[in-house]
Amino acid sequence: MYTHVYIIALHAQGKIAPETYEAVSFARDLGAEKKTILVLGTLPQVEHMARELAERTGIAVTGAVAENLGHYSAEAYKSTIRTLIEGTSPFALCIPHTAAGYDFAPGLATALEVPCITAVEGLSEGSFIRSLFGGKIRAHVKPSTPSCVVTVLPGAWQAPAATQGSAPDVTIVPAEARQETTVPLGLKRAAARDIGFADAEVIVSVGRGIGSPQNLSLIRDLAALFPKSAIGATRAVCDLGWLGYRHQIGSTGTTVSPRAYIACGISGAIQHLSGMRNSQVIIAINTDPHAAIFRVASCCIVEDLTTFIPVVIDEYTKRS
Amino acid sequence: MKILVCVKQVPDSAETLSINDAPPRIIYGDASVFRMNRYDEFALEEALLTRERFPDCTVDAVSVGPQRVRSTIRKALEMGADQGIHILVESGEYVSPLARASLIAEYARSRSYDLVLAGIMAEDDMEFQVGQVLAELMGLPCATSVMLQEMDRMRGTVYVEREIEGGDRECLTIALPAVLTIQSGMNTPRYPSLSNVLRARRQDLVTIDPPQRWPGRETQLITALSYPDAGSPGNFLEGSTVDKARGLIRILHEHSLL
Ligand SMILES: Cc1cc2nc3c(=O)[nH]c(=O)nc-3n(C[C@H](O)[C@H](O)[C@H](O)COP(=O)(O)OP(=O)(O)OC[C@H]3O[C@@H](n4cnc5c(N)ncnc54)[C@H](O)[C@@H]3O)c2cc1C
Ligand SMILES: Nc1ncnc2c1ncn2[C@@H]1O[C@H](COP(=O)(O)O)[C@@H](O)[C@H]1O
Repeated sequence: MYTHVYIIALHAQGKIAPETYEAVSFARDLGAEKKTILVLGTLPQVEHMARELAERTGIAVTGAVAENLGHYSAEAYKSTIRTLIEGTSPFALCIPHTAAGYDFAPGLATALEVPCITAVEGLSEGSFIRSLFGGKIRAHVKPSTPSCVVTVLPGAWQAPAATQGSAPDVTIVPAEARQETTVPLGLKRAAARDIGFADAEVIVSVGRGIGSPQNLSLIRDLAALFPKSAIGATRAVCDLGWLGYRHQIGSTGTTVSPRAYIACGISGAIQHLSGMRNSQVIIAINTDPHAAIFRVASCCIVEDLTTFIPVVIDEYTKRS
Repeated sequence: MKILVCVKQVPDSAETLSINDAPPRIIYGDASVFRMNRYDEFALEEALLTRERFPDCTVDAVSVGPQRVRSTIRKALEMGADQGIHILVESGEYVSPLARASLIAEYARSRSYDLVLAGIMAEDDMEFQVGQVLAELMGLPCATSVMLQEMDRMRGTVYVEREIEGGDRECLTIALPAVLTIQSGMNTPRYPSLSNVLRARRQDLVTIDPPQRWPGRETQLITALSYPDAGSPGNFLEGSTVDKARGLIRILHEHSLL
C-alpha cells in the first residue's frame, strides 16, 4: 500500500523548533514512501524556514502563507492544515508534542475524523508506544483507521544528520487561515529567573518527596556542602508554594546542565527530565526503586531523603 | 452564566497497579486509593473563583467512569460545585479520549455552558486530549495550558494566557463559549468547607447512562501494556544507609565536587 505522511513544522520567532526535526526522524521510522513537511506562517519567514527544512532533511516542503498566520493560533492551524492536506489520504500527520502541538493536534484529528495518539515515544510492530502513570507503564496503541494524527514526544527521537546533495524544491502557497473566534495578542516573556543556576557546579533539586516545607532545610544544608551550588525544584514543589517558581527546572522552567545534579524526592516526569538530563553527573535519591528518575541517573540511591541526607552531612563533617 | 468542569478520577499512586496481558488492561490492586486528577483541582478552583466574581454563575462538575468515580464528583461538591454529573461507564477497558469527550459533549451540548474547563492532562493516561476534542465536537474554540483567564462578559470573550516552553506565555482572546484546559499553579485549590461537606453528603448526583453505542469507542486500541526496560544505566549504591552515604561522598570526591 502506498503511504504518505506529513510532518507539521513548528516554529517561534522565525526559527524552526528543534522538536520538528525529531518529528522528521519519527516520520522516517514509519517507513512511508512519501513525506511532506508543512510550515505555516508569513513571508518572508516561511520561505527561509521552508528552505532550511528542505536542505536539512531532503524532504519536500510546502510553505503556507496567510497574513493571520503571524502568531500561532489553534484555529488558524487547524483550518489551514485541513485545506493543505485535502484530497490526500495520509497514513499519519506527525506533530511535535510541544505546547503548540498538543494545543491543535487533538482538535485537528477530531475534525478529520481520525484518532489522535499523543506523546508517542516508540514504535513496535505497527503500534505506537506511549507512557502512562509518569512512565511507570508503557501502552502500545494502534489506530483502527487507515489514518491518524500522532504527536511525538520531545527527546524521544534524535534530529537527523543533515542530508547531502541537492535540496528538493519548496512550494509556497497562499492559504486561507480561518480566524473567527481567536485573536492572538503575542508573547509575554517569563520573568528573569536567574538564581545562579549558570554558575552552580552542583544543583541540589527537590521534589514532592520532601513531604513538607519544614524539610527544605535538609536540602539547604546539603547544598551548603558544595562551594558553588544552587537549589532547584520540580513544578510540583513550586505549585505547593514551598519554593518560588524561579527554582523550577524543566520544560516550562529553566534548563540546566551543571557538573552534578542531585535529585531528591523527584519522580522523573518527562517535563522535568527535559530540563536537566544534560547534567554531567545525575544522582537520584528516591524511596521508589522503580522511579523514572533512576533511568537517567548514573548514581541511584534508594533511601528516604529525610533520613539519608542527615547521614550524608554527618559522614562528611566527620571526615573533614 | 454556567461553567462545566471535567474532573477525572485517578489512582493516587502507580504502586498498587499491575498489568493484565490478555486482554491488556490495568488492574487496580485492593490497596488502590483514588483521588481527583490534580490539574482538574486547579480547573475546579478557577471555576469557583469565577463564580465569586459573577454571582449569577453556577458550576457543574462532570466525570465519566465506573461507580467509584462518584467519590471524586462528591469531592467536587465538597469544594463548592453546585451540581455533580456522573456519566456511568462500567467498562474496565480503555476508553479512548474521543469516546470520553463524546460522552461529555453529548451531555453538555444542549445545556448552553458559557465556559467548559478541563485539566491540561490526566495524570494516569497523560493524553492531553479530552478538552481539545470536546471543543471540536461542540464547535467551540479552545486554549490549552491556561495560566490566566479573565472573562469579559460585555464583549463575550475571555482573555487567556497559555504557558509554553520555558515559562513564556502566549496571550489571546477567544470568543465565549469556549473550552480551556488548565495548567497547574494557576491558583491554589481550596480545601472543602464544613458547610459544603455537609451539603455534598445530602445532595444527589445526576447519573447519566450512556447510549448503547458510543461514538469513537473503537478508533484506537491498546494492543499491549508493558513495564519499561528494567535496565537502568545507573549504578545502584548497595549496603546500609551509612554505606550509601559514604558511597555518595566518594563519588562526589572522585568528580572533585567536594
Ligand atoms: C505541560 C506541562 C509542563 C510541565 N513542566 C514541568 C517543569 O518544567 N518542571 C517540572 O518539574 N515539572 C513539570 N511538569 C509537571 C510534571 O509532569 C510532574 O508532575 C512533576 O515534575 C512531578 O514533580 P515531583 O517529581 O516533585 O512529584 P511526584 O511525581 O509526586 O514525585 C515525588 C517522588 O518522591 C518520591 N518520594 C516520596 N517520599 C520520599 C522520601 N521520603 N524520600 C525520597 N523520595 C521520596 C516518590 O517515590 C516520587 O518518586 C509539567 C507538566 C505539564 C503537563
Ligand atoms: N473520564 C473523564 N471524566 C471527566 N473528565 C475527563 C475524563 N478524562 C479526561 N477528562 C478531562 O480531560 C482532561 C485531560 O485528560 P486526558 O486527555 O485524558 O489527558 C482531564 O484533566 C479532565 O479534565
